[in-house]
Amino acid sequence: MSDWIKRFLPFVSLLALCVVIAVLEPRFLSAANLASVARQTAVITIIAMGMTLVMVSGGIDLSVGSMMALAGVVGAFALANGAPVVAGVAASVLAGAACGLLNGGAITALRIPPFIVTLGAMGVYRGVALLITDGKAVVGLPPRFGYLAEGNLFGLVPVPLLVVVLVALATQFLLVSTRTGRYCYAIGSNVEAARYAGVRVAHYRIIFFVLLGALTGLAGAIESARLVTGQPTAGEGYELRVIAAVVIGGGSLSGGQGSVAGTIIGALIMGVLANGANLLGISSFTQQIVIGAVIVLAVTFDAFQRRRLETAAL
Amino acid sequence: MASLAPALEMRGMTKLFAGNTVLNGVSLSAAAGEVCALVGENGAGKSTLMKVLAGVHQPDAGEILLDGQTVRFHRPADALAHGVAMIYQELSLAPHLTVAENIFLGREPISFAPLGIVDRREMNKRAGRMLAGYGFKIDPRAPVSRLSAANRQLVEIARATLEAKRVLVMDEPTSSLTAHETEELFRLIRDLKARGLAIIYISHRLEELKRIADRLTILRDGQVVYAGVWGELSHAEIIRHMAGRELKEIFPARQTQKGAVRLRVEHLTRAGKFADVSFEARAGEVVGIAGLAGAGRTELVEAIFGAVPADSGEIHLDGARLNVRQPDRAVARGLGLLTEDRKRTGLCLNLPLARNLTLANLRALVRGWRLERRREREAAREYIERLHIRPPDPDKTVGRLSGGNQQKVLLARWLFAASQVFLLDEPTRGVDVAARIEIYRAINKLTEAGAAVVMVSSDLPELLGMADRILVMRRGRLVVELDARQTTQEEILRYAAVEEGAQAELEVAVQHFELTSHS
Repeated sequence: MSDWIKRFLPFVSLLALCVVIAVLEPRFLSAANLASVARQTAVITIIAMGMTLVMVSGGIDLSVGSMMALAGVVGAFALANGAPVVAGVAASVLAGAACGLLNGGAITALRIPPFIVTLGAMGVYRGVALLITDGKAVVGLPPRFGYLAEGNLFGLVPVPLLVVVLVALATQFLLVSTRTGRYCYAIGSNVEAARYAGVRVAHYRIIFFVLLGALTGLAGAIESARLVTGQPTAGEGYELRVIAAVVIGGGSLSGGQGSVAGTIIGALIMGVLANGANLLGISSFTQQIVIGAVIVLAVTFDAFQRRRLETAAL
Repeated sequence: MASLAPALEMRGMTKLFAGNTVLNGVSLSAAAGEVCALVGENGAGKSTLMKVLAGVHQPDAGEILLDGQTVRFHRPADALAHGVAMIYQELSLAPHLTVAENIFLGREPISFAPLGIVDRREMNKRAGRMLAGYGFKIDPRAPVSRLSAANRQLVEIARATLEAKRVLVMDEPTSSLTAHETEELFRLIRDLKARGLAIIYISHRLEELKRIADRLTILRDGQVVYAGVWGELSHAEIIRHMAGRELKEIFPARQTQKGAVRLRVEHLTRAGKFADVSFEARAGEVVGIAGLAGAGRTELVEAIFGAVPADSGEIHLDGARLNVRQPDRAVARGLGLLTEDRKRTGLCLNLPLARNLTLANLRALVRGWRLERRREREAAREYIERLHIRPPDPDKTVGRLSGGNQQKVLLARWLFAASQVFLLDEPTRGVDVAARIEIYRAINKLTEAGAAVVMVSSDLPELLGMADRILVMRRGRLVVELDARQTTQEEILRYAAVEEGAQAELEVAVQHFELTSHS
């Protein structure tokens, strides 16, 4: 019963939110507006898919905003120097994966909590991005690159939305239908129990950070395509929006819980809130207050659930 | 202040957890100045009953009376406000504070009232006087983190005596104490009785209870099966009431042929834990490992499994060297460890039963990249059936199962992993009798199928009933190998405890095992 509420509360909240906004402002439901919501939330959602893996396994990554900027400028350099679009995107993905490997490797090899390692990495990656660009945007990207962010497939489906759908399907498959996904939940639920069951904990934790890095790199490429420049200052504060999406969607900071569907809904709740507030002429200052309150409510609900389970476990 | 009503009376206490009846109409009373012994097997409901009394849990039915007045405790603070205090088995001190700060936590002596400044000198003085008065040799200024387990227990006891105005509950208070400290504790208990406290004393050491108990209540499966004056029942009768059956019904007979050596351990050593341990276990054999707490038994099996690797020595599985730094290699080679602490190193408590059960052998359920969830459920159902896991629901969150059923899930994990060598560390701790018997049956089936079993247990009748050979460890060394059919509990204990001048330790050990000695 309570599991049922836990599963569907985020979805019901999103639906209610959409209904309220649509009643107050019918323009919300226009195809153009919905497409723009999809574009605006795509970058956050793609990173949040990777963050779901890391958080379900009991980790966290605060460096994704900086990492996205670094991966974005690396890809932009490649493109500015004449690399084809595919190679530029690949460069961003690889740069992100390398950052993820560094994070995961440091966490498991040095046995330092992910929070601390990635807090440090947040500064390092941002610094590197600024250093290699001298703090200036990377320009001279091929106009075709913009298709990745602004294009429509068949003149209808925004390309970033398509990317989100593919990434989400792949993450869902990984998390629900593979051994790796099973271990992800087990490690997050009780890392020692997983180790004693023969799970190669360090190996898998690194994999999750690398996957998050690769997805963050992909998001960085889309962000560069949107801006048609490589911005070393891109993605500031994204880490908190990404983590908020996971948490609102039922993920737990202490691991073992979370789902792809939940995280998508979490990202959409924040995206729809921002979009609806804009349409209704509510100031961005007020928006911050509302989003902050939503995060606290979601976490409160999570903590409440957890306590109930613990009492019942006695 | 003598009143006719008992200081404490609990009537018809009933408590359900997730549909399981943990307490079923339990009544218990204790008069001022009396020690009421509360005994029962693990899982009988003792701890739950006491947590209801302490306000940690709310009863589903029943009432609590103090001096004849009905009271309701909604939270632990309510119980304390009524002078009902409890010494928990798990220690609950703040490690970074000093002894005195812990004792006076929440009621520090204040100097200069308006500012609320803690009078540290006064606090240390009072704590020191109190500890010395109890005969505890502990410095009130020492941080608790530096104290031994025994001294922490004593600090906890001292704190509880400040809180207890009417009722004091002690849950296995002597489990970490030496014989001498136990004596000091008994003297303190006699003082507290004289002060008119009603004391509820939970222990399974009948020898200890004999010296201090006035009354006896026996719980089994959440019900009172005996309540009366201490001394009416013999020890054997108490044990029979607790177990609900004769011992020979508990250990099923087994016929096995010993086969080839499956596990051979040579000169295994881990500094400070165990040294130069060598033994072997054959197919179809149960090798028991006995020893006192701290003898290095758990560390030994964890080293064989690779959870905390040994410093030197060799492990051979089916004739081939096993070089483990992490459990994954041991698991891949067919080794399974049923851990001593199932909540910490065994179960993913918030995950479903089926996922816990299959965790060590997902390989068997994978086709290509895909994990076949239908086959997983079938496998889970098969083992639920085989081990009678209740409730028989593969999707049930495993944290909501009873201790016995959780243990069966963990055993099923290694059965499903098709392990060939089983390391069982206290396989029936916290497990009710019915589940114990099923676990014993499963172990017998394993050996009949050619597995080798190494069983660490503090329950000597269990070792005598299940093992073929019993290895005794003392202070990290294997001291003797005994034939389980020929030896006795007394002999095992002599080897487990005796060392020059360690007579006191032996006495404690004998008391510890007294409960389970039958005849």
